[in-house]
Amino acid sequence: MSMDPAEVEFLAEKTMVTVVPNFNQDKIYLIGGEIGPFSPSLPVDVPLWMALNLKQRQKCRIQPPEWMDVEALEEVKQKETDDKFFTAMPSNHYMEITQLLMKYAPEDIPRADQIRTLIKDIWDLRNAKLRSSIDVFVRSDVTHAKLNHLTPMEINTARPFLTRALDQMHMLRTNTQTGLKQTQE
Amino acid sequence: MFGEKALELIKELQRCLDGSLPPFNEEGVRQVLEEMKALFEQNQGDVSATVAGETGLFAGVQLRHAALERNKRCLLAYLYNRIQQIKKMRWEFGSVLPQDIRYNLSEQEVQWFNRYNKCLANYMRSIGEDGGLDLTQDIKPPKTLYIEVRCTTDHGEFETQDGNVLVLKKNSQHFLLRSECEHLIRQGILEHIVH
Amino acid sequence: MTTSCSNYMSIDDIISTNERIPCKFQVQVQRLGFLDSSSDTDHIQPNTKLELPFWLATALCNRRRHIVAVDMPKQYKEGYREILTADANVVDLHKLGPYYYTFGSHLLCFELPETPDIAKSLLQTFQSRLRKIMDASQNAYYEDTTNLTAKLDEMERDLFKCGQQGLRDFQRWETRASEQLKTSEMVINHRKRKRAVMEETS
Repeated sequence: MSMDPAEVEFLAEKTMVTVVPNFNQDKIYLIGGEIGPFSPSLPVDVPLWMALNLKQRQKCRIQPPEWMDVEALEEVKQKETDDKFFTAMPSNHYMEITQLLMKYAPEDIPRADQIRTLIKDIWDLRNAKLRSSIDVFVRSDVTHAKLNHLTPMEINTARPFLTRALDQMHMLRTNTQTGLKQTQE
Repeated sequence: MFGEKALELIKELQRCLDGSLPPFNEEGVRQVLEEMKALFEQNQGDVSATVAGETGLFAGVQLRHAALERNKRCLLAYLYNRIQQIKKMRWEFGSVLPQDIRYNLSEQEVQWFNRYNKCLANYMRSIGEDGGLDLTQDIKPPKTLYIEVRCTTDHGEFETQDGNVLVLKKNSQHFLLRSECEHLIRQGILEHIVH
Repeated sequence: MTTSCSNYMSIDDIISTNERIPCKFQVQVQRLGFLDSSSDTDHIQPNTKLELPFWLATALCNRRRHIVAVDMPKQYKEGYREILTADANVVDLHKLGPYYYTFGSHLLCFELPETPDIAKSLLQTFQSRLRKIMDASQNAYYEDTTNLTAKLDEMERDLFKCGQQGLRDFQRWETRASEQLKTSEMVINHRKRKRAVMEETS
């Protein structure tokens, strides 16, 4: 069963980010934990969904996560290019968080356009890598492979195609094995 | 060849899997059942003849038996896949099917649909706290409580949860609780406006 | 979708098991002569050659019964297997199929001497064609894909659609189009058909 990207984004919205509010509010108690208290100009950690909601009502400024920085992302991109395997991403939801902040709080992100391009480049690099590894895996006769550091959005995008392709291959491979057994009999 | 009429039924379904449902092919089903009856009777005859001492009938019995099984498989798959489609329609159209679709259902299928409707309603009432939980709602993670919508057709009066009555006129715009109007959007009566 | 352990209710599986196979009758079958349209005898005589649908052939030729002997359809024989080994990517599998893999997998149950080679050929064909299907399904969003999909067998087409759907969902999310609640597909299709019917009758 595969998720819609909107559902993966829903999961990403639980990520904590730092906001600088412009209002006073006592602690709020939610199922997921306590949040606040809020005081003007004092940075406070809140889930991304709340940050976006406050931002839309002009109640806060969002501080971009540390990794959302041109130099840092250039380094990530370089590493991803050099390494034959997948490298660890600074956030498991780098794509969704970037996407949401770019849409609702672009003025809070320094050099937003460059960041947008870098993130897209990293995504494309990793996707091309994923496709090549799927091809290598399918052509080799090994039965399992391990992929580290893929993020939920990446896995989710590849899942419908990949699981079906592997099912088919499993069926065709089982055929050759029963075929072998018959000749030995 | 045997089984050809049965295969026609299956092909008829295959052509319509985009979400429509062809009229229940009563005549086709009847013809398949007739072929099956003939096959069965001929086999019974051959079996009695064999018991009485005649030989060489075995191969024919096998062949007809395979044809019987094949016809049975096609008929069952025909009924089953139609039911699957009808079930899906409950989630896409809601608890009332459009007239012309209802018209394509057999009597038993209408009964099945009504019972499925009832089961689903009972189940949804039983889960969640008071009032139950509408599983056909929030198909996607909701972003906001209220949404802006535009009417695509003259739908008439609509009473909101807080007791206000709105008139849903073609091209009129409203700001409604998402949970109240999601069904109307899915059914194409309202259009969700995003900026 | 279809697998070799056939799924009883599957429409695709039922249609694929109707593909025909060359058979030769080993014994006389009484009172069914009418199945052979080229002769007017009452019984099917031994050595009569007929193309039978797979579902029937498998009932008449298996470990317990040898009422007919089967031969492989030509698109699974050595000649075609060699073409596939040379370059599987250029072959029009739909023309050889349209259920090339599924039907091929079904055929293995007859346990003919060439069975292991057919099984191997099916697997290798799939392995070498997958990359192209995957790449096309991920890139061809704005292009006309009919040229490519025309040469895919049904199972490959299904995979292609699956990949495209994934890409389309992602792109809808990327452009924030997925935030908008939509009318359900069935309702839209139903309206289109209704409109078409009304235009026809008016």
